[in-house]
Amino acid sequence: MSFKWWPIRRLVQLVVIALIASPLAGLNVFRGNLAAGELLGVGLVDPLAFLQATLASRTLVLSFLGSALTVTVLYFVIGGRTFCGWICPVYLVTELNDRLSRYLGFAERSCRLSGTRWSLFVTLSVSLIAGIPLFEILSPIGITSRAIMFRSWMPLLLVLGIIIVEVLAARRIWCRSLCPVGGFYALLGRFSPLRVGFSSQRCTGCGECSRVCPVKEVLAPSLVDGSSQVTSGDCTRCGDCIDICQSRALAVNFWYK
Amino acid sequence: MDSNTNHTGITRRRFLKDGVLLPLAVAIAGGGVSTIFLRRADARGFYLRPPGALEERRFLAACIKCGKCAQACPYDSIRMAGAGAGVAIGTPHIIARETPCYLCPDLPCAKACPSGALDGKLEDVEKVRMGTAVIVDRENCLSLRGLRCEVCYRQCPLIDNAITILPRHNQRTGVHSIMEPVIHRDKCVGCGICENACVRDKPVIVVMKSPPEQKDYYEF
Repeated sequence: MSFKWWPIRRLVQLVVIALIASPLAGLNVFRGNLAAGELLGVGLVDPLAFLQATLASRTLVLSFLGSALTVTVLYFVIGGRTFCGWICPVYLVTELNDRLSRYLGFAERSCRLSGTRWSLFVTLSVSLIAGIPLFEILSPIGITSRAIMFRSWMPLLLVLGIIIVEVLAARRIWCRSLCPVGGFYALLGRFSPLRVGFSSQRCTGCGECSRVCPVKEVLAPSLVDGSSQVTSGDCTRCGDCIDICQSRALAVNFWYK
Repeated sequence: MDSNTNHTGITRRRFLKDGVLLPLAVAIAGGGVSTIFLRRADARGFYLRPPGALEERRFLAACIKCGKCAQACPYDSIRMAGAGAGVAIGTPHIIARETPCYLCPDLPCAKACPSGALDGKLEDVEKVRMGTAVIVDRENCLSLRGLRCEVCYRQCPLIDNAITILPRHNQRTGVHSIMEPVIHRDKCVGCGICENACVRDKPVIVVMKSPPEQKDYYEF
């Protein structure tokens, strides 16, 4: 049996949920949620939450900036949208939902990828103009984590709405085209050294990788033109393509080629 | 086809769709959601914020709804607002009638705040200004009716500072006195312990938004 990434990834996703829930059990390992948290005393802040709050309040808090930079550097090193593929609980929900709706034979259509950049732009400009951190109010990530932390279930209707839209209208539309956190990390991931590498000699052209990929556009330059790495920031580094590839044409790279 | 394609390989149709229609759709959807959903929070009434909170508008700008203040509160006084709170969804607040703020001397909630929405540098609990207690229902206040209640006064953590008792003649009976609780808004921190302690079914003393300071020309 060969090595697979997905069990590790699923474990990480579940550990994140367990960490968010851990204060309920009286543990003092993790505090807060994915907007801002404290893991073993180290302050972590979602850089997008930092940007929104700083633009909205027009006040710079240095410790806040420090925690946001820590996270930014971390995700730069490990691939940007790695946050989406490995950490985000909403990605886990939409991923499982996608698997279910494909099994049931629902929507195959999907929207274009470039939308996250625009929602990032809208989020930041509305935060600046209106003086409220726009995405933190609407964020299904915040809503999901507060549902876990404080058992406030009602706002989860938004997550349910996302699930319904994804089943009926467009696959993975939230993560692919709408989430500004994904848009932010996509900008970061574009320049990250951790990438999926591709060997055109080994590729048999079976197309399994783009079938399982949630953002299959990112594989196109490699599959069509034989480019040796997936360079798009939209790649979530989930590793599903590497797992599915029979001929081992895909691998994890840790430097630019 | 060739006439439609320029040297970058982007068709006019695709340029219009990606560069104009999609952003426009996102902007309209975002604007629609914002105007319907994001009404001013105080349009829905006063939210009693945790100690050290900035003024409401600046608080809403700075709070990122991480819930660390609520997790830091040893009494679980701080709750996160639910779906009905509009723009204030997920922000911390205190429902004094259920659990007031007991004013921990070290203010763990304010220290837990990463974004500065709660001022972590606040050291002195007597400097906290969450709101101001007000007797809103004078007819139903037992003390004002001439009974010896004064529970709010005795429960006040700043007893004899934030609430004092003003004895005066009871004109209704002619022989008794009325022990009136008087709230001093320059001392009241707005913790809500009085609101929590009020013995009436509906509290006659509640914490409200502090009135704006005004110059006092009538000192005598």
